[in-house]
Amino acid sequence: MLVRDAFKTATRSLTHGKMRSILTMLGIVIGIASVIVLMSIGQSAQDLILGQVQGIGSNLIIITPGAPSNGKFSPPASAQGIVITSLKQQDVDAVGREPSVLAAAPLVTGQAEAVYGNNDATVSYQGVTANMFSIRNLSIGQGVQFTQADVDSANSVAVIGPDLAITLFGPYVDPIGKTMRLKNISFRIVGVLSKGGSGPFGVDQGTVVIIPVTIAQQQLLGTSYFNDILVEANPQYDIAFVQSRVSFVLQQDHGITDPNKDDFTIQTQADILSLLSSITSIFTLFLAAIASISLVVGGIGIMNIMLVSVTERTREIGLRKAVGATDKDILQQFLIESVLLTFAGGAIGILAGATVVTLVYVVLNTFFSSVGWVFAFPISAVILALVVSCVAGITFGIYPARQAGKKNPIDALRYE
Amino acid sequence: MIEIHDLQKEYVEEETPTRALRGVTFSIAEGEFLSIMGPSGSGKSTLLQILSFLDRPTGGSYTFQGKSIDEMTDQELAHVRNKEMGFVFQSFNLLSRLTVYDNVEIPLLYSKVLPAKRRTLVEEAVRSVGLSEKLYTEAGKLSGGQKQRIAIARALVTEPNVIFADEPTGNLDSKNGLQIMEILQSLHNKGRTVILVTHETSTAEFADRIIRMRDGVIESDNPVIKTVLYGPLK
Repeated sequence: MLVRDAFKTATRSLTHGKMRSILTMLGIVIGIASVIVLMSIGQSAQDLILGQVQGIGSNLIIITPGAPSNGKFSPPASAQGIVITSLKQQDVDAVGREPSVLAAAPLVTGQAEAVYGNNDATVSYQGVTANMFSIRNLSIGQGVQFTQADVDSANSVAVIGPDLAITLFGPYVDPIGKTMRLKNISFRIVGVLSKGGSGPFGVDQGTVVIIPVTIAQQQLLGTSYFNDILVEANPQYDIAFVQSRVSFVLQQDHGITDPNKDDFTIQTQADILSLLSSITSIFTLFLAAIASISLVVGGIGIMNIMLVSVTERTREIGLRKAVGATDKDILQQFLIESVLLTFAGGAIGILAGATVVTLVYVVLNTFFSSVGWVFAFPISAVILALVVSCVAGITFGIYPARQAGKKNPIDALRYE
Repeated sequence: MIEIHDLQKEYVEEETPTRALRGVTFSIAEGEFLSIMGPSGSGKSTLLQILSFLDRPTGGSYTFQGKSIDEMTDQELAHVRNKEMGFVFQSFNLLSRLTVYDNVEIPLLYSKVLPAKRRTLVEEAVRSVGLSEKLYTEAGKLSGGQKQRIAIARALVTEPNVIFADEPTGNLDSKNGLQIMEILQSLHNKGRTVILVTHETSTAEFADRIIRMRDGVIESDNPVIKTVLYGPLK
């Protein structure tokens, strides 16, 4: 039988029982749509996270306390909540003196309640030096950033995120010059960040409070160590070279002779991107794997209906064999029917998935615009969906098709 | 054209062997019109199934156009069924949801005839049974007589050498039955070999020769004497 005729015959059989075909396809439609939606959302989340990390600049090096992790996917110890006190001011100074480094700035972080009048919000605060604003490309939307003199004098001044400004002061009050309290210490607001800034690990800056590192250490944390040191590499040097130089300086500063016993971790933007990319990819695959369970259920539905169809059409099979169809012809006909069903189901599922993904994008960007959700509809997911639906058609159609092909023409013609 | 010698067919149903054919020997010349008669269980349908390659014998030999069935694979049998044989069944076996055109076209789909040629062959076959105006009518909407004529058109469409007809008038009234037999007669007159299974003497006597069977063996094998002026003997 010509392939074109086989497709025509199969299409005719499927269109004859339209409602049955549609209901049979439904399982595959839902399965493929689920895979598409979850893969697209996973991709969007990945793009969003990686985009924010990329925003911090490619010449940024982040030093965190604690030995580097051996595992590829494990963050350094300090990022796992283990308090390590190995990064001090002398490290900042030593790294800052390195010719391949443009600037080094310490960072301490904590959480506290920010209060203004009757309004309050739980915020992450960051204690930094004045050069941190340029290192991290933080732009000020309103007011000014605090100065190094403010840092040196441990002045209680703050730059806050734009969302926090709205939360504390409302949309109509200018926060500049106003005083808010953080752990019962009054901070005068000197600036508000522009919208869309990102932290060193892609943390949203909308609700952040940035204060001089000195007052953060002395008044809020009571510590003398830093959570991180951010280093801006001199663009004239290769980032890997700068990384090795910074490492060397710190090893000298900490008296470390064996590089395997470093008490700090140096990461570049590329390292962080790689780590986050791995994590989000695994997350996306995990979601897709869950969604694919519904594909299996849909496939079993196809197999069930195809078996019923083979039984119902036993006499037809007998007739076709009597007039010259071979086992292969019959097998091919039923296999094409099941593949057409799953392929059509896959195509409809892709359209349904695209619709849902678009709706998610529109809803998130309409009602939660601060999230900055990005639209992603990976072509790989579409190709995967079509391939998977065809494979499902073959996998779940082969058994019924073989049953059809093996039928004895005499018995089939006698079937009532 | 067809030679069978000591043909045997044994079925085993629920561990009980049944011998449907117990050593049948005869030959059929090209262009012959043969009727096989016999009561229920005589083995006539089993014989037709084996002659038409729908089943294989369990003993004896069967040679079709000089080639033994034992030497042929299932695929080759299917190929011969498609090219050399046409089938007319008692219950028509039309696909009721398809049009007349689509039903008649079915055998051509398995001989890989190109669409343009298929159209000519289908139209010619349907015209030969006088139902051109029904070409695009759903088969399920035809009368019994029309269905059987379409079944004959389907049997003819590949221009086979042999037509096998299994009780072709069994589900028809006498008028339609007569029309069907006249079509088969005309096919024979055009040189085709027609092998007919029936239990009706009046139908069998359209043939040139009648083989009567009983209990899986040939009881008699005689030519039919016809009166030219008055048609077949009743």
